[in-house]
Amino acid sequence: MTQDPEPHLNQVSSKKHTFSEWIEKRFPVFSTFRREYIQFPMPRNLNIWWAFGAVLCVTLLLMLATGIFLALSYTPSAEEAFASIEMIERRVPSGWLLRSLHMAGSNLFLVFLYLHLFRGLYYGSYKNPRELVWLSGLLLMLMVMMTAFAGYILPWGQMSYWAANVVIQAISSIPFIGEGLAHWLMGGSSPSDLTLHRYFVLHFAMAFFIIAVVFIHVICVHVVKSNNPKGIEPKTKEETLPFYPYYVAKDGVVIVGAIILLVLLAFFFPDLLTNSENYTPANPLETPANIAPEWYFLPFYGILQLIPYKFLGLLLSVGSIMVLFAVPWLDRSPIKSANYRPLYRIALFLLVLSFVMLGIVGKYHSHTGLIWLGRLALFYYYAHFLLILPFSARFELKRTLPTSLLDEKGHK
Amino acid sequence: MVKPIKNVSFLFCFLFTCLFIPLISYAQNKPAYKQYPWSFTGIFGNYDLSSVQRGYMVYRKACASCHSVQYMRYADLQQMGLTLDQIDKIAKTDQILDGKDASGKDLYRAATLVDYLPAPYSNQLMAKSVNAGKVPLDFSRYGMGMGQQADYIMAILMGYQNPPADFKPDQEGMVYNQYFPGHQIAMRSPLTKDGVKYADGTPATIEQQAKDVTTFLSWTAHPHLIERHRIGIMVMIYVAFIAILTLLVKRKVWSNVK
Amino acid sequence: MTDNPSTPTPVIPPSQNRRSFLQLLTASSVTVGGVVVACPFLNSLSSQNTTLEQNFVDIDISSLKAGQQITVTWQGHPVFILNRPTEALQALQDASLITRLRDPDSKELQQPSYTQNWHRSIRPETVVLIGSCTHLGCVPTLKLGAKLGSFYNCACHGSRFDLAGRVYKSMPAPYNLPIPPYTYLKPNIIRIGENPKGQNFDFTQIKQI
Repeated sequence: MTQDPEPHLNQVSSKKHTFSEWIEKRFPVFSTFRREYIQFPMPRNLNIWWAFGAVLCVTLLLMLATGIFLALSYTPSAEEAFASIEMIERRVPSGWLLRSLHMAGSNLFLVFLYLHLFRGLYYGSYKNPRELVWLSGLLLMLMVMMTAFAGYILPWGQMSYWAANVVIQAISSIPFIGEGLAHWLMGGSSPSDLTLHRYFVLHFAMAFFIIAVVFIHVICVHVVKSNNPKGIEPKTKEETLPFYPYYVAKDGVVIVGAIILLVLLAFFFPDLLTNSENYTPANPLETPANIAPEWYFLPFYGILQLIPYKFLGLLLSVGSIMVLFAVPWLDRSPIKSANYRPLYRIALFLLVLSFVMLGIVGKYHSHTGLIWLGRLALFYYYAHFLLILPFSARFELKRTLPTSLLDEKGHK
Repeated sequence: MVKPIKNVSFLFCFLFTCLFIPLISYAQNKPAYKQYPWSFTGIFGNYDLSSVQRGYMVYRKACASCHSVQYMRYADLQQMGLTLDQIDKIAKTDQILDGKDASGKDLYRAATLVDYLPAPYSNQLMAKSVNAGKVPLDFSRYGMGMGQQADYIMAILMGYQNPPADFKPDQEGMVYNQYFPGHQIAMRSPLTKDGVKYADGTPATIEQQAKDVTTFLSWTAHPHLIERHRIGIMVMIYVAFIAILTLLVKRKVWSNVK
Repeated sequence: MTDNPSTPTPVIPPSQNRRSFLQLLTASSVTVGGVVVACPFLNSLSSQNTTLEQNFVDIDISSLKAGQQITVTWQGHPVFILNRPTEALQALQDASLITRLRDPDSKELQQPSYTQNWHRSIRPETVVLIGSCTHLGCVPTLKLGAKLGSFYNCACHGSRFDLAGRVYKSMPAPYNLPIPPYTYLKPNIIRIGENPKGQNFDFTQIKQI
């Protein structure tokens, strides 16, 4: 075959080839994608806990999409915000659906975020060399919490108004600068049109900053590679699997599971996560009888309740998140995975328990019987990070770690 | 060797602990009043639209003189199964405020489909002054909370019993209600037997009227419930199908990994 | 940890070219789902209640003197109601004007049949026009002058219309100004949006607003 019967076919294919090459040479998107999302080596023993990162990405995209379309029908003024939400719910075509997805999505976002965070704590994903992954993740969590708080203000219902009021008043307890700072954040002495408008912009703009930090977080993970349930680094190629198709398939299953939860919440239990009090327009003259934040802020709200000194309460409440930033340096144990740290595992279980306890205190603050239980939980919360993490390594039995991810003796 | 806790079971333990909060809250708020089998509770719940329509008639007759449904337009009543022509006829019988004339006097005109349901008072102060100092609730979202709230509304409406001998109102104009918090309520029993004549011939007992108006109030708070459940079931079937597919794909992909 | 009996199964990466039927089915079902999910998003952008917009407007023209014009809103359009002086009515029939018009006999469907006459109205003196230039929708302004000096001028691109809304030749606007359906309820009350009895003009059928 010396003669090419169809030279034009060759031309077309070669032209196509050069086009992708042309792009590739200037902006290596194809090879980067192949390297980072197809051939990318993942430890072969990852379990369901490692899928929540992907689930969170999907949830973030859902929140962005629904949020942008909701913003198109929303009016950020104290006079009209509530009515515009009612308009979205009643008259904007499919508006009720978009809002349900946004509300259910925000709750699930925090659920997955807490699970993702817990995964990091349990398997020691913050330890050398993953400190930056941990720190960027915590920064993301703070940003998401801020966005969630700002978003809750937007409907300008009773809960929105009083949440804004209480939180900003709490800031005023900071010595010296508090009063001025609160006044400045609120744009006045009580939540007003100005407050609502700036929290709308904060809510909207923060979403895009979150995306930027997600990129940083993911790049960090891809540089140091994923941790795994055994907490030892894979050394050979046999200990890893390419991201595609193995973890695409595995993450896909969990993502579909998350979608099932979302559908259940948005379509069948829309009232479960909403406070009916927030369907009453904001009234600056009347505080609702049972004022409590959304469930994901309850533990921090609980800490505020437990301390009889306003500023100390604020410090401990904010500190309970800030202490997480120090975890990579507080934990002295060289073993990453809690699977090989029986003492730490019990301690961690108690930590989750005390976190939930603080949440219960936040919800039922009026019940005095809970106060001492709550203070015990608060004490344990800090003791866990400040005492148990640095010193438990000394008391923990020396255990033999598996030498490879293929080692059947270790827990898979 | 201590056997580590299985990861999946740990996940469930964790989720279960988190579920405690709503469970406790449910247990605490368990109402002391009668529970009715509402057609709109549960994941397959639907509104009986004829009851919603009857409830709207009760609302117009017994509630509308004090309570507004200020976020709903006449056209929104379509979703309770009325045609635009029927709504137009109802709207024409209502007078709504439409600005002021040159001398500052309120102007009224017949309502149209695009108007919001009329407000009984032109401002909050007026509402307060004629209702023992309390602004009557707006009913747009009063039914939020599905069955539990419906039972509560029902209990209030049926709770106008004879006051106990030692009943003394704190304030002029308050009356006894068995189920209202504090047992004192500014609202007099709004329903009377045959106070409304139903077009479909349903006997208008007080309980029937209370049931219908409660259904109406739940409907105004959840105007898309029927659509929501219908679409939700279709979406659920689709997602279940996808779930099976992804599980199969995952098993197939991972079949060569030991 | 030296007695490790299990040897790793070699992982065979599945061929990139031959995807199984199962994978294709999954991918296509997810794509279909994604497209369906886009629907409520796009749907939310469509306008609400367009069919419910107020269908007619009643206007009392008893105080409208010759040479005066009022502008009202009907279905979101500005509607001019102009009381034309006798002089202007005579100008409409002027032969020199008619040669300069693009569609002097209102042949294009821009008005109800009951206004398809030399004065483009039910009553000669009172004309009802949609005040939206057929070029790009700006609102023309009325210039009153002597004899042929009266016209509507569009500020955006200089299109001109006579006092019956007929467009001049070689102007950017292609059609005469549209006329909405209207009728006289009483001698002095015009209802815009309703045809006179026995007429069935459908405004949505016109060439262009």
